[in-house]
Formats: sequence, structure tokens, C-alpha cells
Amino acid sequence: MISDRVKSNLKQSLSESILPKIGLVLFIVIIFMALFAPVLATHDPTSTGYFDPESGSAYPPLGHSYDTEIAVDGEFTAVTVEANSTHLLGTNTVGQDVYSRLLYGARVSVIVGISATLLAMLIGVPIGLLAGYYGGRVDDGLMRVADTMLAFPALVLALALIGVFGERPIEIPDPIVMAGFADGMPETIPIPGTVTIVGALVIWVWFARVARGEAMSLRNAEYVKAAKSFGTSNTRILLKHVLPNSMTPIIVLATIQVAVIILLEASLAYLGFSGTTLSWGYEIERGQDYLRRRPWVSIFPGIGIMLAVISVNLLGDWFRDALDPNIDQSKRGA
Amino acid sequence: MLKFLFRRLLQGILVIWGAITILFVLRAFSPGDPAVLMAGEGADDAYIEQVRQAEGLDEPLLSQYFEYLLNIMVGDFGFSWEARREVEAIVIGRVPATVELAVAATVVALVIAIPLGVISGTRRNEPADYGATLFSLLGISTPNFWLGLMLILVFGVWYGIPYPSIGTSSFSLGGFAVEYPNSVGLGLFDFPTGRREIGFAAAVSALVFEQSVSELGTWVRYITLPALTLGTYFTALITRLTRSGMIDELGKPYVTSMEAKGLPRALILYKHTLRNTMIPIITVIGLQIGTLAGGAVITETVFNWPGLGLRLIDALNARDWPVIQGIVLFIAIAFVVINIIVDALYNYLDPQVRES
Amino acid sequence: MSEPILKISDLSTSFFTNEGQINAVDSISLSIDQGEVFGIVGESGSGKSVTALSLMDLVESPGEITSGSISYRNAELADTLREEYPDAVDGAFVDILSVPESVRRSLRGPSFSMIFQDPESSFNPSVTVGEQVAEAVEVQRRARSNPRSTHAKTRGVEYSLSGYLTSAVLPSKRFVTTESKERAIELLEMVGIPDPIKRANEYPHQYSGGMLQRAMIAQALAGEPDILIADEPTTALDVTIQAQVLDILSELQEDVGMTILLITHNLGVVARMCDRVGVMYAGEIVEQGTLEDIFEHNIHPYTAGLMGSIPALDNVGGRLHPIEGNVPSLLDSEMRDGCYFADRCPKAMEECLTKPQAFDGPGSEDHAAMCYLATHEYEEEQALPDTYFDSSTEVMTDD
Ligand SMILES: Nc1ncnc2c1ncn2[C@@H]1O[C@H](COP(=O)(O)OP(=O)(O)O)[C@@H](O)[C@H]1O
Ligand code: SF4
Ligand SMILES: [Mg+2]
Repeated sequence: MISDRVKSNLKQSLSESILPKIGLVLFIVIIFMALFAPVLATHDPTSTGYFDPESGSAYPPLGHSYDTEIAVDGEFTAVTVEANSTHLLGTNTVGQDVYSRLLYGARVSVIVGISATLLAMLIGVPIGLLAGYYGGRVDDGLMRVADTMLAFPALVLALALIGVFGERPIEIPDPIVMAGFADGMPETIPIPGTVTIVGALVIWVWFARVARGEAMSLRNAEYVKAAKSFGTSNTRILLKHVLPNSMTPIIVLATIQVAVIILLEASLAYLGFSGTTLSWGYEIERGQDYLRRRPWVSIFPGIGIMLAVISVNLLGDWFRDALDPNIDQSKRGA
Repeated sequence: MLKFLFRRLLQGILVIWGAITILFVLRAFSPGDPAVLMAGEGADDAYIEQVRQAEGLDEPLLSQYFEYLLNIMVGDFGFSWEARREVEAIVIGRVPATVELAVAATVVALVIAIPLGVISGTRRNEPADYGATLFSLLGISTPNFWLGLMLILVFGVWYGIPYPSIGTSSFSLGGFAVEYPNSVGLGLFDFPTGRREIGFAAAVSALVFEQSVSELGTWVRYITLPALTLGTYFTALITRLTRSGMIDELGKPYVTSMEAKGLPRALILYKHTLRNTMIPIITVIGLQIGTLAGGAVITETVFNWPGLGLRLIDALNARDWPVIQGIVLFIAIAFVVINIIVDALYNYLDPQVRES
Repeated sequence: MSEPILKISDLSTSFFTNEGQINAVDSISLSIDQGEVFGIVGESGSGKSVTALSLMDLVESPGEITSGSISYRNAELADTLREEYPDAVDGAFVDILSVPESVRRSLRGPSFSMIFQDPESSFNPSVTVGEQVAEAVEVQRRARSNPRSTHAKTRGVEYSLSGYLTSAVLPSKRFVTTESKERAIELLEMVGIPDPIKRANEYPHQYSGGMLQRAMIAQALAGEPDILIADEPTTALDVTIQAQVLDILSELQEDVGMTILLITHNLGVVARMCDRVGVMYAGEIVEQGTLEDIFEHNIHPYTAGLMGSIPALDNVGGRLHPIEGNVPSLLDSEMRDGCYFADRCPKAMEECLTKPQAFDGPGSEDHAAMCYLATHEYEEEQALPDTYFDSSTEVMTDD
């Protein structure tokens, strides 16, 4: 499925440019954060126990103690807000540890991003392959559906779907905590289930379109014709010849779509329609009313989203440059 | 050309019909009681029954479907039982704010992105190119709601964050201090956040009929930060496209041939390569109108900008389905119409398509 | 005959690629007379196009002219530049490699212009042919009518983004004026395009290849150039059209007395058009002389090989592959010492392992060849064994 030429191209563009390297490193860091969140976290991300009732405020990050006036019960009083050394990045407005929530947020983003993209592939690729391979009415129908789906902006369609289906989290157990490696961390984490499904429903069309295009061009390839003349069944041709050969553009697309989903999840969570609160997007929303005095509550999760999306985009660019045969030629041609 | 337009129009109608059907199917097969969905949150049983009767939700699905189709064809988008108003009235009232925002964002994007893309495409691997590449990478990767907040914060920095004291409202709410700036900026240039004082049409008419500039100034001040927020992704995208388009175009043999006849470099760049670069980008811009609409929902929420997107979020919070579907449908129709126009423009600009 | 108009000496152009340095033009020297047609022949990949682009100063990065001089005879230009660039001026000759970029740019059009191999890709597809020809006219018209001193002529035509933006709003500020458009139509008529008024408003894709090549000739003539460089002007065309295009070129040459540098890999074209010829191999001019020298008294086995493979005139599209093997890659690191042709040469001798210089040939006084056979007869006992290069070159294996 991944030929030697592809591998050597990937290696070559990795060594030629700094950007794919940055993307790869960022990606590994984020996956690491997501996988080992319970171990790396310093506090239970859902516990609100670190709220400082005296100042009526959240802790600032390390080294950022400051004097301020805070209205408590209608009276303005001068207080000093002290950084608490156990909260690396401070606490949010309800006293949860920002650092720990940042790690868990990576988890949610990665899980939703990858599972929604896989789901979309599962829906889109077979439909696209069949339409492209058989052509005719099936194909016309698919293209009309695709056009229609694309008339809805992703976020707007997602909101409409959520308007009908509501938003439901799925609690998934945390194997690391279950195995006893991280005591005191939540045993399950809530993943925005509806958002995952809705995300897949919003992006599957792209996979169908790409798979269709590939199937159409492969339909007339010599080896497919040859296979047909031996009496190989269409299903077998599709699985053995057409699918493997269309994987390259599908992988490139999938990479980019992970970024789309991460942004979509963050946006929905920010708007309050993801059904969960353990999410980078939701944290930003939570911090926005306190932006001036407690900017860290919104800043850090935003950086998290940005780095995650940058890493996936850079990987996408890398794959595209390395896998696109046209670019390959133009680099070499004299 | 006419034949093409006709075909494209027919295609567009088909897509709109499909969009209407999808929205109908969503309502008809929603997991709950469609009457509850239509009535909105907080409706009591009697009201829900009333909605069921009035909307004919007991009737066969097929006749409901045709009624729905017919209504939309005559411009009747339904009735919001929650807001007790016609949906089309709600939608129309919110259109200008969103259109202003979207157009302003597009203008910002084009004005910044095209020169940036040209510079970066013509000075490959120079610092300017690296800068533009980095900018466009950040631009397409930054969630715009966060960007909006950071703009507010950064402009606030001029006042000395974390203790700005001007132009904010600070009041107590259950022990918490709520602080959200009403305006941020440099004093001279305060950019208000969270309102839209005046529409563009009103500002222009004040300028024309009363020779008063201040209305237009107000409009500009209010729209600056939202337009920057919404426009950044677009700017980044168009910068990328312009850069790679220019690189492609400058590598073509006709450029050498133009150099050979002694044309000034600037003429080759702007009249020939940039023009050719922009032709395909126009199509991309058309297709990205959807992203712009999605971004508008977010931006309007961040800045409390009273457009369609903010209304959509309000409707979602109130579970007011008629308004949700009305706005979603309106956006889909707008997308189709804009893309037909863009295609026509593309055809006009590209002689290879036009003359054949 | 008449005096030289262009003297090229030791011109080298290299490309600095990731794979290494490619010496596409390797210290060539030629001299072209006023009013003659000078031909350059050679297989594809031997550096002909890069030579042409070097003369036009259009070599693109990663390519660079690394050494040599190109002396162009133009008394007026020499007078203008003498004070400012005394090193560049010698009598009526100006070394165009020693003057600034802006001066060289200003020479494109009125001094040198060029016709390219593939007319279809040499026009901008989204601008009308008439407009593109008119642009060339306009540049020259502006350069000539420049009210300031002749000095200003060497500065080139000024143009900026603001100029473009104004022209988008005000039609009267467009770069191309009506006069230039009219002149463009005259030029199109001159090169034999029927119904030029109508065709001027058509786009390149509406033209046939031959018509477009004529339009390109018209465009190249807009500045009434002293030297016209034609890089394989007929290769992309049908046989019958080729003949027509060549006819147009010869007519022009006779009428205006224009100097033409004609690049081709087709010896039939050379025989028909040229007065003198340079044979190019691996970035070098390996033999040059009059038509007769090259066809009758050739010395270099490569030239002889080319002769053996003159394609019949009805098969001119075919590529030359006169001698077994390929043009070397021209990569600096892979070029061996000695004669570059030795690995393919049927008469390679031991002394050929050191580089031959350009020796006088037996023909006219211009005749020269870079080959030891110009100095003595082939000596069989000195011959290198057939298998000599099989072991010493690993890159030459062909599959
Ligand atoms: N842009 C370029 N980059 C790298 N090498 C080039 C470039 N253009 C030409 N060359 C090299 O220069 C050599 C001569 O090319 P060219 O002048 O086009 O040959 P010809 O016109 O005789 O067919 C070729 O071997 C090619 O590898
Ligand atoms: S110098 Fe020697 S190898 Fe080169 S062409 Fe002449 S005879 Fe052949
Ligand atoms: Mg060539």
C-alpha cells in the first residue's frame, strides 16, 4: 500500500524542510499528552476544590501573584491573589487546574478528531468507490447529494444536526486509571459523542468525492482491465486493486480533516453545544468573561488548539508534497 | 455562456431542493416529538398541542413535505412559536449585519492577502516569504473565537493589562466579578466590543445627505475587530493560494517570453501572472463562502454582533427549530447563489472557457 | 564579408542544483556577422537553449552566467555608456555582461529578441494575441520616444503597481495605446496572418500552432531588433507549416538584413537557412565554420555523425540520435577530463584523454574544430579499446 517511492519521498521532504519536522514533533508531543494525561496531570481535572473563596477568584499561574480589587457581595476590597505552587498554569474560574485540564483537553481533541475522521472514511470511501467504479446513475445521485451537503457550511450543518439530536457525551473508561497507574484521576472521561458523529456526517462527502475520482481514473487502468478479463469479481477488483491504489490521496485528505474536526469540536464546545465541559473550546468560553484579570484561563487552551491544528496541518502538507506525483516530477525535471 | 448559466441555475435549484429536503427529513425523523421541536424550549403541553395542530404535524409526511416545499417557494420560512414571529422576518432583520461583517472580512482578506501572497511568491525563500508562510500557517490553524478574544486582549494591552480600568463594566454576580470590556484600543482608536451601533447603509446615507463622517467612523470602529477576526483564516488561505499560484504562474514559459520582449517586470507580475493566479482563486473564494458563514457564527458570538449567526445560537439555546432551519436554509441558498455568480464571473474572466 | 555584430568569448553558464553544478554552457566562443544567419545545431540537452537565454540574459535561478563576455556592436549605445562604464566599452562594442541589469533589460526588444520553440506555451492564455503583440510594440515605442536624453533609453520602461491599479479604473491610462494596437495588426499582417484585425482580438487557444508561431515572430519584430534569436522555431510544428515559417524568416532576413541566430537540431533547416554554423555538444561548440566547412570538410566525428543522420525533409520532427549513446549529464562532478565526446567517438585515441583545444580546420578561415583530428590523421595504433569507457563510467548504462 505504501510503496518504496512514497517512503523515500516522505524521507526526502522530511530532511529537506524544517516544517514537517516541527509538525511531527508537535504531533508526537500532543499524542503523548493525550495518551498519558492521567499520569502527567497534577490534579483531578474535574475537581473544583482549588477555588479560593477568600479572593473570590481563581489562582493565577506561577509567578503571577498580583494585587487587585474584587467585588465581593457588592463591596470592593483590596486583595492579593497569590499564585499557588501546585498549579503550574493556574486555575480556572471555578478553581480547576488549568494544566491538568489542558492535558485532558488534548485527549478529547485527539479522540474526537481521529474517530470522527475514521467514521467519515468508513462512510465516504465505500460510497465514493462504488459510485466512481460503476458510474452512471449511482454516480449522478452521489454527486448531487455531495453538492447538496457542501452547500451547508460544516459548522452550520453541525449546529442544525445538534439542534435535532441534542448533544450527548459518552463516558469512556480510562484504562490507565483502571489499571491503577494514576490514583485520584477520574475513572471515565466524557467524550462528546454527538459531536463525533455529527463531525463525521459533515465531512464524509469529501472522502466520497476523492474516492470517486480515484475509482474513476483507476476504472480504466490496464491492470484493472486485465483483472476483469480474467473474470475477477468486481468486489475483488475494488478491494484488491482500486482501494489500495486510491489510499494515498485519501490519507492526505484524512490528515487535513483531523484538523477540521479538532476546530469543529472546539467551536461547538465554545458555543456550549458539545455536551461536555472537559474540552479546550469550553475552557476558552469559560475564561472569556474574565479575560482581563485571568487571561490564562482562555490563553492556554487556545494555544493547545492552535498547536494541535498546526501539527496536523503540517503533517498534511508534508504528506501532500511527498505523495503528489506531479510535485515529484516538477522537482526533478530540468 | 447563456446555456452554461442556464445549466448552472438548474443545478443550483436542484441543490436548494436537496437542502430543503434534508432539513425536512431532519425534522420529520428527529428522535423526539416534532411538535416539541417546533414549539421550542419551555413550551407547556397545551402550547405544544396548539403547535401540532397549526403546523399540521398529524398529517401524512408526504403532504407535510409538499406544504413545506410550497411555503418555502413563496418565501414563507415558517413561524417561530418561541419568538412568536415569522421566521423570514427574523432572518431578513439579521441579514445586513452578517453581510456587512462577511464583506468587510473578505475585503480585509483580499487587501492583505494578495500583496502578501505576491511578495512571498516572488521572493521565495527570503525572510518576507518565511514571514508570510508562518503567518498563513498560524492563520489557518487558529480557532477564530480564540483569536477574537486575543485581539481584545492585545488591544487591551495598550492600556496595561492586567489592570485596565477604562471602558469596562465590572459588576458583581454571586460573588464573582464579571468583567468584559466594552471597548478596547488605543484611546484614540477605541474598538468597541459587543454591539453594532449603526448599519453601513445608515452610515453612508449620513455621509451623503448630512455630510457627516462620524457615523461612518463609528461603523468602522465597531466592525474592525470582528472583521479582523473573521478575515484572518481567509487572509491566510488566500495568501497561501496566491503564493503557490504565483510560483506556478511565474514558472510558465510565457513569462520568459514576456521578459524577452522587454516588458517591465511589474507589468508581467500584475497584468499577467497575478491576473492568471486570481482566476482560479475566485472559485476557491466562492467555495469558501461556507467557511466564512461558519466563522461568522462564531465571530458574532464572540463580539455579540447581531447577525444571523448570533441569532442561530440564540435559537439553538431556545431549541427553536423553525428559526434554526430558517437560518440554515438561508445560508445554504446564499451559498448556492453566490457560487453561481462566482462561476459566471470565472467564465467571464477565463477566455479559454468563455470562447469555447 | 561584413563586420561582426556579436562576439561571444569564453561564455559559461552553470546551474547550481541540489544534485550538483551543471555546466550547461562551457566556455564557448563565437562571432556572428551583421546580417548573417548563424546556426547552432546539436542534440537535445547539449546546451543550445541555455546559450540563447544567456544572450538574452534570461537564465533563471539556479542558473548563472559564470564567466565570459558578450560584446555587442552598437555605436550609439557605446557612446552613451562610455563615460559611465569605461570597462564595458571597447570601440563600438559594449560588453553587455559588464553593464547593469537595467541596461541589459533595455536591450531586450530593440537589440535582441527571441522566438521560442513552443508557441502555445509562450503566450499568456488569458490575454488576446493582439494585445500581447501590442505590448511588445508599446515597450519599444515608449523607450524610443522617451523625451529625456538617450541615456534614459538604457533605463528601460518604468512601470509600477500604482500604474496598473490606475489603468484598471481609467482605460486611457492603460499600458497599451491604440497606436501600438494598430502597429500590432500591421505586424500580424506582415507575418502572413489572414484577417489580422479579427485575429488580433482572439486568444492564443483559438490559433493554430503555425499561426501562433507567426504571431510570436511578429511580436519579436516589434522592436525591430538587431539580432533575432530563434530557438527551434519550427520543432513544434507540422512539416508543411515548418516550411512556411522558415520562408517568413528568410524573407525578413533578406528584406531587413536582420541578423538571425537560428537554433535547431535539424540539419535540413541549417542547410536551407544558414550562412555559418556552430555544432554544439555537451555545452561546447565543438566545430564551427561556413555551411560548406561543416557539410563538406567537417573534422569532428560528432559533426560527421550528425551528417550521417540528416533526417529526410519529410521527417524533420524526428530527434537526432546520430551516434550511439547519450549527451552526458553535464554534471560537473561526472564530466571526465579530456574530450567530452570520447566515450561515444568511434575514433577516440589516447591523446583524447586530455582536452583538445579549438584547432584551425582545413576549410575556410573561420573553420575550427575541437578535435585532435584537425591536427593529424586518425592513428589506429593509438585507439582506445572499445571497452575503455565501460569500466570508467558507471552512469552511462542505458536500460
Ligand atoms: N532550469 C534548469 N535547471 C537545471 N538544469 C538546467 C536548466 N535548464 C537547462 N538545464 C540543463 O542544461 C542542459 C542544456 O539544456 P538546454 O540548453 O535546454 O539543451 P538544448 O536546448 O540543447 O536541448 C541540460 O542538460 C539541462 O540539464
Ligand atoms: S578529440 Fe578525440 S575523442 Fe574527441 S572527437 Fe576528436 S577524435 Fe573523438
Ligand atoms: Mg532547447
